[in-house]
Amino acid sequence: MKKNFTVVNKSVKKIDSLSLATGKPMFVADFKPADALIVKMLWSPHAHARITSIDTSEADKMPGVHIILHHGNVPRIAHTTAGQGFPEPSPYDTFMFDNKVRHVGDRVAAVAAETAEQAIEALKKIKVTYEVLPAVLSIEEALKPGAPVIHDEPEAHIPIPVPYEPARNLAARVAMDVGDLEAGLREADVAMDHEYYTDYAQHCPIEPHVSMAHLAADGRVIITTSTQVPFHVRRIVAQTLDIPVRKIRVIKPRIGGGFGVKQEVLLEDVVALMAMRTGRPVFWKYTREEEFVSSRTRHPEKMRVRTGVKKDGTITAVGLDCITNTGAYGSHALTVVCNSGSKILPLYRTPNIHFVGESCYTNLPVGGAYRGYGATQSSFAIDCQMDEMAEAIGMDSLEFRRKNAIRTGETSPVFRALGEGKAGVEQSIGSCELDKCIKLGAKEIGWKKRGRWQDKKGRFRRGIGMAALMQGSSIPEIDMGAASLKINDDGSFNLLMGATDLGTGSDTVLAQIAAETLGCDMDKIIVYSSDTDMTPFDVGAYASSTTYLSGMAVKNVAEKVARQMIEVASAMMECPGKEIKLADNKAVSADGRSVTFSEIALRALYGTDQFQIGAVSSRISHKSPPPFSAHFTEVEVDTLTGRVRVLRYVAAVDCGTAINPKLAEGQTEGGVLNGISYALTEKYLFSPKGKMLNAGFQHYKIYSMRDKPVIKTILVPSYEKTGPYGAKSVSEICINGPLPAIANAIYNAVGVRLRTSPFTAENVLKAMQAN
Amino acid sequence: MKLSGYHRPTTLDEAKRILKELGPSGLPMAGATSHSFLKGDEEKVAVDLAWMGYDRIDHGPDSFTIGANTRIADLQSYHAPGWVLDRVALRFVSQPIRNMTTIGGNIARVFPWNDFPVALLALGAVMTITGQDVQTHTADVYFKGQPARLYEPGDLLVEIKVPAVKSGCGFAYHKENVVNMDFSLLTLAAWIRLDKRTVADIRIAAGAGVPLPCRLPGLENALAGVAISTDAIKQAIASTLDSVKWKGGDGFSDDYIRALAQAHLEDVIIDAWQMAKGGAT
Amino acid sequence: MSNIMTIQLTLNGRKQSVTVDVKTKLIDILRQLGCYSVKMGCSEGACGSCAVNLNGRVVNSCLTYAVQADGGIVDTVESVGSLDNPHPIQAALVEEGAVQCGYCMPGMIMAAKALFDINPTPTDEEMAIHLDGQLCRCTGYEKIQTALRKVAAAGKGGVA
Repeated sequence: MKKNFTVVNKSVKKIDSLSLATGKPMFVADFKPADALIVKMLWSPHAHARITSIDTSEADKMPGVHIILHHGNVPRIAHTTAGQGFPEPSPYDTFMFDNKVRHVGDRVAAVAAETAEQAIEALKKIKVTYEVLPAVLSIEEALKPGAPVIHDEPEAHIPIPVPYEPARNLAARVAMDVGDLEAGLREADVAMDHEYYTDYAQHCPIEPHVSMAHLAADGRVIITTSTQVPFHVRRIVAQTLDIPVRKIRVIKPRIGGGFGVKQEVLLEDVVALMAMRTGRPVFWKYTREEEFVSSRTRHPEKMRVRTGVKKDGTITAVGLDCITNTGAYGSHALTVVCNSGSKILPLYRTPNIHFVGESCYTNLPVGGAYRGYGATQSSFAIDCQMDEMAEAIGMDSLEFRRKNAIRTGETSPVFRALGEGKAGVEQSIGSCELDKCIKLGAKEIGWKKRGRWQDKKGRFRRGIGMAALMQGSSIPEIDMGAASLKINDDGSFNLLMGATDLGTGSDTVLAQIAAETLGCDMDKIIVYSSDTDMTPFDVGAYASSTTYLSGMAVKNVAEKVARQMIEVASAMMECPGKEIKLADNKAVSADGRSVTFSEIALRALYGTDQFQIGAVSSRISHKSPPPFSAHFTEVEVDTLTGRVRVLRYVAAVDCGTAINPKLAEGQTEGGVLNGISYALTEKYLFSPKGKMLNAGFQHYKIYSMRDKPVIKTILVPSYEKTGPYGAKSVSEICINGPLPAIANAIYNAVGVRLRTSPFTAENVLKAMQAN
Repeated sequence: MKLSGYHRPTTLDEAKRILKELGPSGLPMAGATSHSFLKGDEEKVAVDLAWMGYDRIDHGPDSFTIGANTRIADLQSYHAPGWVLDRVALRFVSQPIRNMTTIGGNIARVFPWNDFPVALLALGAVMTITGQDVQTHTADVYFKGQPARLYEPGDLLVEIKVPAVKSGCGFAYHKENVVNMDFSLLTLAAWIRLDKRTVADIRIAAGAGVPLPCRLPGLENALAGVAISTDAIKQAIASTLDSVKWKGGDGFSDDYIRALAQAHLEDVIIDAWQMAKGGAT
Repeated sequence: MSNIMTIQLTLNGRKQSVTVDVKTKLIDILRQLGCYSVKMGCSEGACGSCAVNLNGRVVNSCLTYAVQADGGIVDTVESVGSLDNPHPIQAALVEEGAVQCGYCMPGMIMAAKALFDINPTPTDEEMAIHLDGQLCRCTGYEKIQTALRKVAAAGKGGVA
């Protein structure tokens, strides 16, 4: 176990940060050619309708209009927009354009014109007639026998062998049982059975979705796009347009935030086809309203939790029945609900586990990948119920978690039972400092002073709550990441990776891993990532995989390159390779002689037996080591108005070795604040006909600096042997804490258990009045 | 709204003349932050008022005279004895918007969620409109309905006169919203003059949570002449709360806004009382 | 009355003359003039990624008409420090790891600069009030605050 790092575990500057802070052109829109056509989409005004006719004859003649696409003039190929590995564990239920619309904000027709204004004017001239169909606007309605069928098209299918029943609006189903839930509940001293519900939310990247396409001289289509999954974009666009993958190049420049919503192919097919048909560069950027209505959201989820506990704190059974609302399309439907089980059920030890995850179609906005990915929803349900069980048996809920949480060396049957679209992968926990996270976090928040809600008086009451969390690091036996590395004359290196930095700093973290392995300075690593023509494959930035999985690919490739350098240095210094160490930009022999990396490069490139020092390497993961975290918060509840203020928030996190501590803290703090506003203020409001009413930052409420509480991150190191220099993931876990921690803190303040999010002031007040 | 022309008068007279000539197609531009939200295809010609002055705050013996083109940010950074609009300004949207929006723009067209009308109603401000001749309107008259009813083409709001909050008087302002930047769910303002412990004069106003910003005469009457105490305030609120039809929005029900009003009316009156007593401001 | 006007701007220290349609927003002119740091995030004055400083005050260029800036001094982050010589605000943000996706950064920096130019030692509260129009979804603002506190402590915020 290496602990004396030179580059890793240091808060080196994020390599692109100064360029970003000085405003250099680095984002998709900054590269828009002056002659680009601008796309505007006609969106469905109906939640559910059949398009009986589209007449574009007048719109075609409008000034500046070059092309109009609709279901009558594009390939009809069922696919999924979910940017997942192939074959995707999401149903093929989406067409580029269809003769049916399934939610308000579904695609109807797209116009490309010389200017945005011209495109908007042309949209007004497209004549569409609809046969409006009864709409399904809730989980309950969707699953009622005889409910309107949202996907009645014959093509709808899922390309892997899993349950899929569109005829009854069921987009996904997964189940597992270990032991006997009922027996476990009977054995318990206290058994509980509660329902929880979490609502819609949007990722709100400050840069909305944006894509553009142009044709290269050889006729290939070049797509520059704000995506987390460039390689999946290439594959899915090829499939959707029925063209070979080789005809497409996808480039991801800097992107302005993703959080999962850009793990989706939403604009690229349109700009690509328009560029191919017009020969002109084509540019499309979502408005903020479109980002809310026509991109992706967090799946709303209804959860029933049945648990049993003995007086000594032993958990006798945990049953979790989840149903998500995937909206009009089944993007990530199966895997999100599956993660509701797989990413939380292993956390607390119990012999009897039951899990059913289902996902249903509705005529509402579409669910997708969102940081936390199902675990955000179920962490709320499970951790609130743990809190309640501890209270019921008179045990401090912190001690209850410490007693029952999984530890190093232990395993859970859930790991093997639940995979993503197939069985999971058995693993035992190699690194876990959850207990230390709990202890340090408790100390920081002042857990012991929290008191009982029964003893609290006055209008404003404070409470402290906590949550224990786990996530994963990559999808085992499915995800693959690759990198290539070569040396340059001056001893610098080009590191080319498929890995996709969506603002998280993965380019920096991966460069640190390369520099650590090679023994060079950070500024010697020139990173280029996420270009399907130039870089090796990577599944992309999702499932908390980049540091762990792509990091191992980078470490591997750097080790390969290091061996080649040592060979050359060995010839130069005439000493055995095994006596040579690489450090400080030099190869140093046992007797203290050295040659610089530049000298090695020059010898290899221009000297004798010339060759390119370089390699390519790829990795898959055989396990998904969970990061662990304990979150604590202190809130104040106004008992007259129900308003909840988060006063302080503490997140103690075990992400293995933090490759870049400040960036790991930044991941945590960003996720936590997003989680806090998800818990308290973010909410989709719908009209009775399924139209979102608050699609803008004026009415969909996210936090500014003026709203935030103090967030304190405590990094608690562990060492994950299978990860690069001991690292696990950090990006997703942090968003899962606020819902349960705040709910538990509200209970500690005023004695009400909130089981429906968000905890708006009105919901809290109502709950107190009902108490 | 589609902007099809732009004028930039440098004097009040020029502005009035251009607006009069344009008639209904003229659109006074007073910061213009709301122009992007005006719907419809109507063509409008902007008359930018930012270049004609009227953007100062003058401190008189008992009052402040605010030019209609004064930016909210200038109200925020202004400090003088008896000046309280800085607190109102501080709760107004966000700094970039405070830098762009003018007080005249904010009160020329009244929205339910408006901030300043509530404070101006409680303070007893007076608005001066110049056109053919000069009209002055108390806040009560001015905000009785949409101020547009008071304006003929060519008429312009030029000044707002706000009484200083003097010793023995108190003012408080509460805005309840979900995050700092967003629209108000309920805005309340109270001004109070005490004679020893008796309420000699009181004005209470509400905005958001009601159809348009307004005074709460029932509550004022219930408190006028009363020896002030927390209990008296609670009682007055309880007995008059339902004389107002409280209105929800943004996902909050009417009932909830009523509960919010009950809690925060007490807060705002107590805060004004404390200030009048010479306590916390 | 024409809907086309020629306006004069002092953009990042350079006098420029631009002919605009009166309905054009300042952001569109600035990007047309090569100031790509000015980002469109919401077009409704709510996210602040289009923020620029007009006569020393931070404004949303997506709500400002170009004609309103006529004769004005417009500064974007292109004029605030460089790769070789970053402004103390930029240096601190980079040092503290406050730049994640970076999309909000130009607006955030302009808003911070407008504050530090008039108040080199703002308190936490003054910073929060002054930056309340700048949304960031990546950082939770924690590292941004840390960085700006450092600039305030050094009292050099106004010095380029």
